Amino acid sequence: MSKAKILIVDDDPDLRRGLNLRLRANHYDTAYATDGFSAIAMAQKEKPDLIILDIGLPAGDGFVVLDRLQQSAHLSSIPVIVLTARDPQFNRERTMKAGATAFLQKPADNDELLGVIRATLAPAWPGTMSHATN
Amino acid sequence: MDKPLSHVLLIEDNPGDADLIRLRLVEAISDVEVNCVDRLTTGLDSIEKKQPSLVLLDLNLPDSKGAETFRKVLSRAPGTPVVILSGQDDQELASKAVHQGAQDYLVKGDFDGKQLARAMRYAMDRQALLTSLDMSRKQQLEFKDQFLSHVSHELRTPLTCIHQFVSILLDGLAGELKSEQRDHLETAMRSVNQLRHMIGDLLEATRAESGKVALSPRCMSIADAIRQAVAMFRASAERKRVGLEVALDVRTPLVYADPGRIVQVLTNLLDNAIKFTPPDGSVVVSTRLFETDKEFVYVSVSDTGRGISREGINLIFERLYQDANAIDDSRKGLGLGLYIAKQLVQRGGGRIWVESQAQQGSAFSFTVPVFSLDKLLVPVVSDGGKLRDVISLIKITLKHRSHVAVNWDGSQQQCLELIQSCLYTGRDLVMAAPSDGLNQDSFLVIASADMNGAAVIEKRISDQLHLEEEFKTACTLETSVREMQLPDAQAGESLEAVVHGIAEQIMHSPFMQNGNLSSASN
Repeated sequence: MSKAKILIVDDDPDLRRGLNLRLRANHYDTAYATDGFSAIAMAQKEKPDLIILDIGLPAGDGFVVLDRLQQSAHLSSIPVIVLTARDPQFNRERTMKAGATAFLQKPADNDELLGVIRATLAPAWPGTMSHATN
Repeated sequence: MDKPLSHVLLIEDNPGDADLIRLRLVEAISDVEVNCVDRLTTGLDSIEKKQPSLVLLDLNLPDSKGAETFRKVLSRAPGTPVVILSGQDDQELASKAVHQGAQDYLVKGDFDGKQLARAMRYAMDRQALLTSLDMSRKQQLEFKDQFLSHVSHELRTPLTCIHQFVSILLDGLAGELKSEQRDHLETAMRSVNQLRHMIGDLLEATRAESGKVALSPRCMSIADAIRQAVAMFRASAERKRVGLEVALDVRTPLVYADPGRIVQVLTNLLDNAIKFTPPDGSVVVSTRLFETDKEFVYVSVSDTGRGISREGINLIFERLYQDANAIDDSRKGLGLGLYIAKQLVQRGGGRIWVESQAQQGSAFSFTVPVFSLDKLLVPVVSDGGKLRDVISLIKITLKHRSHVAVNWDGSQQQCLELIQSCLYTGRDLVMAAPSDGLNQDSFLVIASADMNGAAVIEKRISDQLHLEEEFKTACTLETSVREMQLPDAQAGESLEAVVHGIAEQIMHSPFMQNGNLSSASN
């Protein structure tokens, strides 16, 4: 089975490097983008299985990226985990509404982050939304 | 500060006094409009229609007496200056009202037009000053909140980097570690985690102060919250050889509170208790019930630590308080934990306090309101004091895929609001029910409708949920409906007693036994 590919979008080179190391050690392929504009270009080129997205980015912040991903027929199905230092009180709901699968605040526990990645990449349950009335 | 004194509301039931005051007012102040009413209810209606620039208020009216009169006016027209008109015999009452926020009082028959005008002018000025002070305090808090939100973001970024690379080293991703190296790195990691919590606390404390902490109370099991919080401290207690026990009163009922916030309060108390208890000591979390105070569950976290000094007891819930005698690592921290705990408990309608004996230990206790379905049920089961024939229960269970659980906090609230939007406000009721599964949420709708009406509501809710992309991809939905005949009120039985009976019946119905509501009450 081929490795799952994760696109890391973060403008901080150290954080990118650290996350890259961590993900590769856990047998994921990685690619990265450093701003909102290249995030979309990389998503199109690399076709990742998952995107880890920062919010504060140059050339289109995380919300813009989420928006563009949602609007693209090819990209809207890629799950996005938002990983940001921003205040959850003002950003959690907003990112979830914009189409993110999960919101984690930096610094996130590695176990938590890896757990969310695994759960997100796991095959979907069959028969979503059944309606049983008795 | 020079708003025109254009519209005065005079609430005075004695026609002679009212006429005299009106006359003096018109003499002393040009272009003043005086609206005179002789009942409190008419006065309150008038405030609703047009906000007066000042209220002249007699406290003893046919439909309201004493301090209560002033409180009602104040709550209807906050920010409007009120001057009390008192008789010779009730000056004490009037001066009490001034302590509670009235701007001044005048003794009837003791003032002329000029004095009246001056008192009113000063009342207006003082009120304007208070309002602007209050506004600037709010602005300051708002600024502080934004500032801290920004600062904590900036602090978190480099902290993330440290956290990331220390953990990379600790996990051996950059090569094997010698035990001494591991030791040092673990020390660094502990400090990183401490810093992380402090940054969180800073924001939390400001939010608590400005009342911005979001609380979503619901029917919940306090026992579950205690078990959850205690589980988080097992490891650190064992490391320190401190015993950690739970002693629950078997009768502990469900409570009405925000589960996340209750865990947060318990976490703060447990963190302190373990920190201040020496090895071989013990920490006990208990619940108690008191016959004399049936509306609350008492939760205590007691330790066998060295206790708190007398002056400490008075100050311990204040911001930034730290025990001056602490010598060990217990000095670390911002001193915000108990302050936040206090704010959270109070916002939830409870109180928090500490009892302590030197060298014997301390016990922190707080109260949580017992969940009372009775109060919520009244508008559902009755109409203008008359009991309906039938109501319906609709249970909605959302089972969600595991990865969504991480974000479920916000979504549960959203879900509750969504269900609420399908209901008849003020007649139907929805509440989040405690759930025994991590990956599911249950809601109970109590509708003032028969089976047919309930089916319509059920369909509306199901349709609404299907419209939400987030729920559709994340959840499976199960609903079930049950009709409930209401009893005929027995002669002499109060509505309260009947409603209580219905609430009991709902909580213990086989319909609920299958679900999760009752599972938490053991």
